[in-house]
Amino acid sequence: MDKQKLEYFKQYSEIIPNFDAFMESLEKEQPYWMRVNTLKIGEEELIERLENKGFKLEKYKNLNAYKIVVMPVKHPGATVEHSLGYYYIQDLSSMAPVLVLNPQKGEKILDMAAAPGSKTTMIAELMREGTIVANDVNFNRLKSLGGNLERLGITNVIITKKDAKSGNFGIKFDKILLDAPCSGEGTIRKNPWGFRAVNDREHKMLARSQKIMLKNASKHLKNGGIIVYSTCTFNPWENESVVEYGIENLGLKPIHFDLPIPHLKGVEEWRGERYENSEYYKRIYPHLEDTGGMFIAVLKKE
Amino acid sequence: MQFLKKNDYGKYFVDRFGIPEEIIEKYTFWVRGKRVWAFSGEFIDVKDIEVLGIKALSLGRTPKPSTAFLRVIGKYAKKNVVNLDKEKALKFLEGEDIEGNFDVEQGYVIVKSNNDILGCGLYKGSLINQIPKKYRYEDTWL
Repeated sequence: MDKQKLEYFKQYSEIIPNFDAFMESLEKEQPYWMRVNTLKIGEEELIERLENKGFKLEKYKNLNAYKIVVMPVKHPGATVEHSLGYYYIQDLSSMAPVLVLNPQKGEKILDMAAAPGSKTTMIAELMREGTIVANDVNFNRLKSLGGNLERLGITNVIITKKDAKSGNFGIKFDKILLDAPCSGEGTIRKNPWGFRAVNDREHKMLARSQKIMLKNASKHLKNGGIIVYSTCTFNPWENESVVEYGIENLGLKPIHFDLPIPHLKGVEEWRGERYENSEYYKRIYPHLEDTGGMFIAVLKKE
Repeated sequence: MQFLKKNDYGKYFVDRFGIPEEIIEKYTFWVRGKRVWAFSGEFIDVKDIEVLGIKALSLGRTPKPSTAFLRVIGKYAKKNVVNLDKEKALKFLEGEDIEGNFDVEQGYVIVKSNNDILGCGLYKGSLINQIPKKYRYEDTWL
């Protein structure tokens, strides 16, 4: 790993517990994780097929989540089974926001920044029946989303191409996932070459966009509904600060939630900003379960 | 371009492949241009819909079913299904045509291998490959 890129993360030494372990984890290659598309095949059947081909897979707790310990191909998606849509490569940390969203049969769910569709397809797999509006502003990324829906055989999704900050989605939803575009610090292990360190000004600009998206999400939420706000970055301006904006200015209420993946609570203070509700938020760090990073909060509209 | 609801297209799958009506009734069918989309959710009138469900048919002289949708409903088919052994299935996934006589009607068929629905083929004396390039087996795969 590029030393300069690692150096960038030292700004978080005071907010990330066990910081040395965190820094060490960034230098380690991140294992692949996958989940079975149970809309098409049973978990046991697929795992047996892949293991017969030389894969070694470790089931994580009682979740439909498997760490790929050994793979006999260069990329874990280079199999007939992947092409048939029997599984999806997705980091455990990326599954977390959907587990928290807890999609139920018959719900109407908006995935505001959906492409390339990891979380959309997981929502569909968990809810079985219901309706998902999957939105993204980027045309090329929408093509990946459409491709993934086709491959996985998911038929209950409406794709739209709107700006999440201002788009009108026509109705109010039971649940909204706002997995907001962010500086992506938590993906550095997965994609060290693609990671670009951003400066304070860019973090602030991203935070501004994220707040506007949260405001638009709030407009499209039913009373009693929830927004799961998540990012794959560590910077508190893009996380705690955005959620606290929603609590203070949009009338949203933070909710306690369970998460069966190791995590720590939110940050209490960062560069002079104090976050009153940090105990409601959850942060997944790479050194906790050998994954990427993720921030998650749940906000309710009453 | 708007999506127009035309559930009559569901009948194609009942007639051609013997898919039970109660399976097809789970979907609504929507036309946009020369394509028909199958959607199993509740329609929400969001303006500027890009995609509604997944592509089920391309319209031409005869409708052509999509591999993606056949992979969803193909397990319920009762006719016009070709079952290939493992070796031929791999050749089919590589994009090859398969020689041989199969007990199916001429026209579009569902190609499977055991419980795997591989996708769409066109039978006219031999099995002409209709698998889209994006789903074709590559020699670096397992």
